[in-house]
Amino acid sequence: MDIRFEKVDFTYQPNTPFEQRALFDLNLTIENGSYTAIVGHTGSGKSTLLQHLNALVKPTKGTVTIGDRVIVPETNNKNLKPIRKKVGIVFQFPEAQLFEETVAKDIAFGPKNFGVSGEDAARLAAEMLELVGLDASYLERSPFELSGGQMRRVAIAGVLAMEPEVLVLDEPTAGLDPQGRKDMMEMFQRLHEERGMTIVLVTHLMDDVANYADHVIVLEQGQIVKAGTPQEVFQDIDWLKEKQLGVPTAAIFAEKLRAKGFSFEGLPLTAEALADDLLKGFKKAGGDL
Amino acid sequence: MNKLIFGRYIPGTSFIHTMDPRAKLIASFYFIGIIFLANNWQTYAILAIFTLFAIFLSKVNIRFFIRGIKPLIWLILFTVALQMLFTQGGEVYFSWGIFTITEFGVINGLFIFCRFVLIIFMSTLLTLTTPPLDLSDAIEYLLRPLKVVRFPVHEVSLMLSIALRFVPTLMDETEKIMNAQRARGVDFGEGNLIQKMKAVVPLLIPLFVSSFNRAEDLATAMEARGYQGGDGRTKYRILHWHLKDTVVMLAFAILTGVLVLIRS
Repeated sequence: MDIRFEKVDFTYQPNTPFEQRALFDLNLTIENGSYTAIVGHTGSGKSTLLQHLNALVKPTKGTVTIGDRVIVPETNNKNLKPIRKKVGIVFQFPEAQLFEETVAKDIAFGPKNFGVSGEDAARLAAEMLELVGLDASYLERSPFELSGGQMRRVAIAGVLAMEPEVLVLDEPTAGLDPQGRKDMMEMFQRLHEERGMTIVLVTHLMDDVANYADHVIVLEQGQIVKAGTPQEVFQDIDWLKEKQLGVPTAAIFAEKLRAKGFSFEGLPLTAEALADDLLKGFKKAGGDL
Repeated sequence: MNKLIFGRYIPGTSFIHTMDPRAKLIASFYFIGIIFLANNWQTYAILAIFTLFAIFLSKVNIRFFIRGIKPLIWLILFTVALQMLFTQGGEVYFSWGIFTITEFGVINGLFIFCRFVLIIFMSTLLTLTTPPLDLSDAIEYLLRPLKVVRFPVHEVSLMLSIALRFVPTLMDETEKIMNAQRARGVDFGEGNLIQKMKAVVPLLIPLFVSSFNRAEDLATAMEARGYQGGDGRTKYRILHWHLKDTVVMLAFAILTGVLVLIRS
């Protein structure tokens, strides 16, 4: 399911003294099965953009096409549920959305809203809880007695249980410990690879972008300033530094090595790519392993 | 929620903006008091001119004041309608059972309408031009005499300033949770009354929980920074009463005099 933006403008509170334009003439396509990363400063319009992806807000100008549904400013607010089922959004700090008595009920809440029967929803809840790395003993516990990290997992399971085709993640690992962060990102990667889920990731962590994404969109003040593969976007390190966007760790290290006289074909963005390049250079120089 | 103009602050540097918040607060309450002095067209006209002049001084677009009335328009019209239907006296225009529309009724209804609009304009002017924290400082100052009767002035004003500070934060939080639940398939404001009420649960519980957590964090942070209650504290924001505040008070005194003179 493709998501396409055509000349999308969005203004908050139009015609009031608090009017604020957040998106300017945006054109972009999120292709079916892709792993898209959206990066940019705070206040660049990322979160506003996210809310367009499942019609939580409508553009003030332009069209958003989600699958075969076209959203224009005049679109009626009714019958948007099918879109919301297909595009699941994990908002920032999703643990704030938990409310049911038990973890099982909370995870099943989403699917039930979309008409899944009680039994199936319970089965989905158990399955998703396992997927996010918690065992079945948590099913009957209250979500409010869990730790922050566990609450996060339950909240994410609640979105996954809707079985969306597109999964939108707004900084899903913010505030998690390094291991939790890694587990979480690898789980999303598995969903992407094994179930062919389209993933849209908003993040400030360029290492995650380099490791997982196949398409990067750079937003600045509500406009797209760069888009392409991570290779293309990260190639110009000076530009990134100028925009204060951060550079993947591997690329910084490679850049330092380059200054010392090493040569790389492209700029390696991940630790693996860097290791491969170094190994190649080592062999070329006549090294023996 | 975003359409609510009433109770929000627009930054500015106009005459009204730079007034002492105490003066503005006293003036607004005083205005509500003296509006009951008006009882004929001349007095209402004077009050309207006074209000429009105040709005002009604030340099805020009058459209925002008019929009501030919109959420209350049904309440106003309901009151006006009741006045019209049940006030007796003067020439009878229309009669049906116990309902009669009379000359006095229509005039009374229009007066009530003016009264509502003027009160809303004035209080919107207060909130549009005064930052909430200044307002709570002013309230604290004005409540000070109540200390004599053991009224906990400091605690009340502390609660007030914390409450005011967290209104926008809680609004943002509400919107976030609402969006998150809508993304999970909740329809807010659709279906029959029971369905609508049920849809609010996934919003209310997280809001309460986060308020509890926030309160706990805030209390800890305050204690860690040495807060021990109101005794012996100094103030960072100090209010200054200027000449123009006295001038405004005088203007209100003159207005009262004129109203008393020409009311019938």
